[in-house]
Formats: sequence, structure tokens, C-alpha cells
Amino acid sequence: MSVHIGDWLDERIGWRNVWEAIFLRKIPKVNWFYTLGSATLFVAVLQGITGILLTIYYVPTPDHAYDSVVFITTQVPGGWFIRGVHHWGASAMVILAVLHMVRVIMSGSYKYPREVTWFTGVGLLLAVMGFGFTGYLLPWDQKAYWATIVGTRIAGVAPLIGDPILRIMRGGEELSAVTLARFFGAHIWVLPATLLLFLGFHMYLVIRLGISAVPRKEE
Amino acid sequence: MEEKDQLGRRNFLAIAIGAIGAVIGVVIAIPAVAYVVGPALKRKTSEDWVRLGPTSKVELGTPTLFKTTIERQTGWIVTEEELSIYILTEDGRDYIALSNICTHLGCRVRWITDQGQYFCPCHNAAFDKIGLVVSGPPPRPLDRYETKVEDDQLYILLGG
Ligand code: FES
Repeated sequence: MSVHIGDWLDERIGWRNVWEAIFLRKIPKVNWFYTLGSATLFVAVLQGITGILLTIYYVPTPDHAYDSVVFITTQVPGGWFIRGVHHWGASAMVILAVLHMVRVIMSGSYKYPREVTWFTGVGLLLAVMGFGFTGYLLPWDQKAYWATIVGTRIAGVAPLIGDPILRIMRGGEELSAVTLARFFGAHIWVLPATLLLFLGFHMYLVIRLGISAVPRKEE
Repeated sequence: MEEKDQLGRRNFLAIAIGAIGAVIGVVIAIPAVAYVVGPALKRKTSEDWVRLGPTSKVELGTPTLFKTTIERQTGWIVTEEELSIYILTEDGRDYIALSNICTHLGCRVRWITDQGQYFCPCHNAAFDKIGLVVSGPPPRPLDRYETKVEDDQLYILLGG
């Protein structure tokens, strides 16, 4: 029966080719370090799911942000779990992405013909950093507030463009409701869109070029 | 032989990956569903006697409007809500407390003295003095609250 439906669909949408290209593609004999990219992707999907769920209750305004987060963790069934996964997943994202990058450096996988894959990877890493930075403010507690004061000030010390950058990030002179709203907007719209764009390109290249083999000793 | 072994291994891995994926999916899906529907399942459990005012304010034989504000916790926000309750007594001993919320779709009903009826402007419903439907779409009489009198003060039971 399921074979039947599979055939029916395949005839119309050709999913088997896609499936083969993604999951049954040939790969060289590699080690576990070569799974770090997939691990990052897995956590990214988790972050997407839990993040979407969090927006059901979270409200990005100074008078509600903190209370809505407390509500999620203490009142909503499973809320502590959803938020917990998102919270720890954020750290895992950064760690996994960096480890993945280290692996790519160590195995020289960034070399011809995979330079563009590397570039898109850099874009992805920046997006992940952006997620971490903007997401940190959203609970709107003391830690979040001061971390963002410091974080935006760090950007502010850049020569010449520092001050405009700081103002653009904060949406004005001070850290305010405007800052919270724009960090939220960046966190749930701008960055996910960016991430998807780079991720799509990244994955396309991984599939098109295949992954690199483990370099041999004598090279 | 070799080929067969390969296929066995391949199938085993496919099943193992599928199983692990299913477990992860369930571990996420169950809390996610609870998370989304949770607040909808929550019922108010607390009951409270709310004081409306002195019984001397109630006119014999005509519904008298009492207003009171109650605090309501919705999500993380505490709001003050104004409640309007019509109190009717024929003898000054037994009280009927009627909610002014139309049982059709929730508009506010008003007591019209000339007609001796409650009137709902939304879909032209009429209720009689004790809240029974006279005409219009409402499916049941106006809701009643339990009442009690203590030290000549009138109380109604909210929630529960
Ligand atoms: S809401 Fe009162 S008649 Fe429809």
C-alpha cells in the first residue's frame, strides 16, 4: 500500500530522486567528526520548532516580556521544557557550529572546489551569533538587559562607525522598548530568513560537490 | 552473500535511524501539544463570595442593578473586570442574582422597566423578570449566581 502511494507520488513529484540525492548520496569513508554539520542542522531545526512555540506566549514589550517568560516557564504545561530546549539549544548551536568549522579547517575541506561552501558557512556562523545576541535580550531580565548594554557598547567603540552602529542596534540612544522590539524582529524574522537562505545554499553545495574525504597522511 | 549482508546492514540502519527519529519526535511533540493546548484546558477552580452592597438598595419586585469589580488573572496579566448583576427579590428574603450577559452570544442585557423585560439589543432577545427566555435566539435563561445575606449585605458566589 505504502509502496503504491510512494510510486504514485514519485510519478508526479519525483521525490525519490530528491531522497536519493539527499540521503543516499555517495560519501567517502569518513569519521564521526564529519557529522558535526548534521548535528548543527539538527539543533537548528529544534531551535526553529521550540522558537516558534515560544512566540505563542512571548510578548516583546518591556511591560510584558519578563512576565510572559515567567508564565511560560511556570504556568504553561511543558513550557519549562520548550524554553529549556531553546535555551540550551542556543549554546549548543554555537558550540556545534564552531566545532564543525574547526573540523572543516583541520581536514582542509574549505579548499577547491568548496570555497563557496565555506563562505556560506561563515554567513551561517554570523547568523548564529546574531541569533545568540538578539535572543539573549528577549527574557528582559537584569542579565539580559545588562548584557545587551555591554554588547551594544562593544559595537559602539568601533572607530567612526561605532556610534551609528550602537544607535541603530538600540534604535536610539538608550536601551528601550524600541530595542526589545527590534531585537525580537531580528530574532524571529530577519535572522531566520538569512539563515534559511545561507543554509539552502550551503546544503545545495554539500550535495552538489559531495563531502571531502579525510586527507591522507603523506599529503 | 556479500550483497545480502550489505542490504541487511542497510535496512537495520534505516530502521534504527527511523526509530531514533520517532523517539525524538515524540519527546518533542508531546510537550509541544501540551504547551499549545494547556491554557485552554485550565478551568477556574477558586470560588469566592463577592459583596455587592446593602440589601436595602434592592427594590422589592423590580430587578436592581449592582456593579462590582473583580480581579481576573488571564495569562500573566491581572485585569479588573466590571461585573453587572441584576438582583431581584419579591419578599426581601429570597434573592435572585442574574448575570447581565446574554446567553446567546454574550452581549449585555438591560432591564426595561416599561416592558418589564430584559432586552438584548444584539439580536432582539427578551427575557422575563426571572431571566426566562421570552423571545429571540438565546438557548437558555440568564445565568444565576448563588446569593447569601450577611449583616444586611448581599453576597454572590463567583467562579466554581
Ligand atoms: S447576543 Fe443577545 S440576542 Fe444575540
